[in-house]
Amino acid sequence: MQDSTDTHVNGKRWTLDHPELGTGSLPITPYLSTEYFERERGKIFSRTWICTGKKVEEIPQPGDYLVLDIAVGKTSVLLVRGKDGRVRGFHNVCKHRGNRLAWNDRGACGTGLTCRFHGWTYASDGRLIGVPEEDMFFDFDKRDYGLSPIATDVWEGFIFINLDPDPPETLHQYLGEVVDLLRGYAFDRLPLSWSYTAEQKCNWRILRDSQLEFYHGKALHQQFAGKVMINKQQPSCHVLDAKLFRRHSMMSFYGDRRNTQRTPMELLMAQFGASFKTFPSARDMDRWPLGVNPTRSRQWFFDIYYIFPNFHLVILSPFLFVAHTMLPETVNRSTWNARGYFPQPTTAAETVTREYNKCLARDVWLEDGSTLENTQRGIESGVLSHYPVQDQELLIRHAHKVAEELLASDGQAE
Amino acid sequence: MSDTSLPEPFTDLEPLAAVWALATETERNQQRLSSTMAQIQAFYDTLLPRMEAVLTYLSTFPPEPPDALPQKARRLLYLALAMAEITTAVELHQQPSVPAGFEPRRFIPDHERMER
Ligand code: FES
Ligand SMILES: [Fe+2]
Repeated sequence: MQDSTDTHVNGKRWTLDHPELGTGSLPITPYLSTEYFERERGKIFSRTWICTGKKVEEIPQPGDYLVLDIAVGKTSVLLVRGKDGRVRGFHNVCKHRGNRLAWNDRGACGTGLTCRFHGWTYASDGRLIGVPEEDMFFDFDKRDYGLSPIATDVWEGFIFINLDPDPPETLHQYLGEVVDLLRGYAFDRLPLSWSYTAEQKCNWRILRDSQLEFYHGKALHQQFAGKVMINKQQPSCHVLDAKLFRRHSMMSFYGDRRNTQRTPMELLMAQFGASFKTFPSARDMDRWPLGVNPTRSRQWFFDIYYIFPNFHLVILSPFLFVAHTMLPETVNRSTWNARGYFPQPTTAAETVTREYNKCLARDVWLEDGSTLENTQRGIESGVLSHYPVQDQELLIRHAHKVAEELLASDGQAE
Repeated sequence: MSDTSLPEPFTDLEPLAAVWALATETERNQQRLSSTMAQIQAFYDTLLPRMEAVLTYLSTFPPEPPDALPQKARRLLYLALAMAEITTAVELHQQPSVPAGFEPRRFIPDHERMER
């Protein structure tokens, strides 16, 4: 399983495995153009599965619901668990005259959701069940006015929606190889432990790209990651593995956690609970999901899984992962939700170790966040017409091609 | 005893608790950002040698909700959480805030709302 140097980084340039992607620079237009953004809205966000970032356990009981405003889909989405246990999605729009149905961003509708305007009531499966003064309508049948459904499905607890009324493929078909690669990971056992949301005045691709490569690790996250990333044999190489799928992609990164700064608090935290700078026990690595540290390197830092177009999973250990959900609002505004999933503390001391990991992750994300609006301003200046793409930025290159293919596909763009 | 005290072995940390034993991440982060590096360093240097004992003590209590803890233990927990908050300032950044970082006020901790 291990080679003599105990690292699988071999100086290879992964981009060259994919001649169809080329090695050229990428255009800036997709980051700036309103016209391009409208095409993305019509052919990407209105037609592919997009991750809400929410998990089924956030609406545990029948009748529990969440409301998400999906600006890029020009709609508000109601996710509700039915009496049968199933999670369904609907347009949060009353079918009488179109008022917003649920007003809170989360809640429970035991006996149904009632519109404030004229009092129509809907069941948790979307049926219209109550109409005041129903006898005063004409040729009226309640069955014609149930909530408009949105295709909704679940993978490993994550709720996805598809704004296409008739999606050409199921969520599991859409996810493809990723399903098998990550099957068996502790998605169902790690609770949501922290969640940050930030509105960013930048195009969604700037946000997306910022978590799609780790070329920036040694510079932007120098204090956190710089030492871990040092690779004496191959100083420029940090990629253990890269897999490009039809839509999605993954990259596995080298890191020697023994090089991590053994700071006093780091050592204490590792003593009392889980710390993500400490390498997890490699003993049972063979039993990890195939897609987690796929090369089974002992010098593994983390894996990025990019679920096109708006969801990133960053897997740092069997007991810690991060999920980024990114959604455009307009061509130059986006929402970023960054979440950490970490073992449930069993003592108050472990509450402290969780806090330590949370604050560390938050500060690293504040570093990431510092680049977003500055990059937007930079490209709005018109100085760049294209940009060069390094080998470690391969997933950005691939994502651009995936988007171009979807934009070129048939079908009306809204 | 009032809820402004710490458990018996840690009463000498009272001056730190008076400033840092705050109930939420937002308050603790605010305290960090409005302190000088000298104040943060003094907090770290004073608490660090006691931190192992603090965590050993907290290991005997359930994790949450904090209301489930006796008042003194809860206050010690808040002090330890503040230590977790300022650790990056001391061990990574050598300054109170993330250097050139995104504005913390715009990076909204949703988990605080979910916990309520
Ligand atoms: S718009 Fe909802 S009841 Fe009339
Ligand atoms: Fe980053």
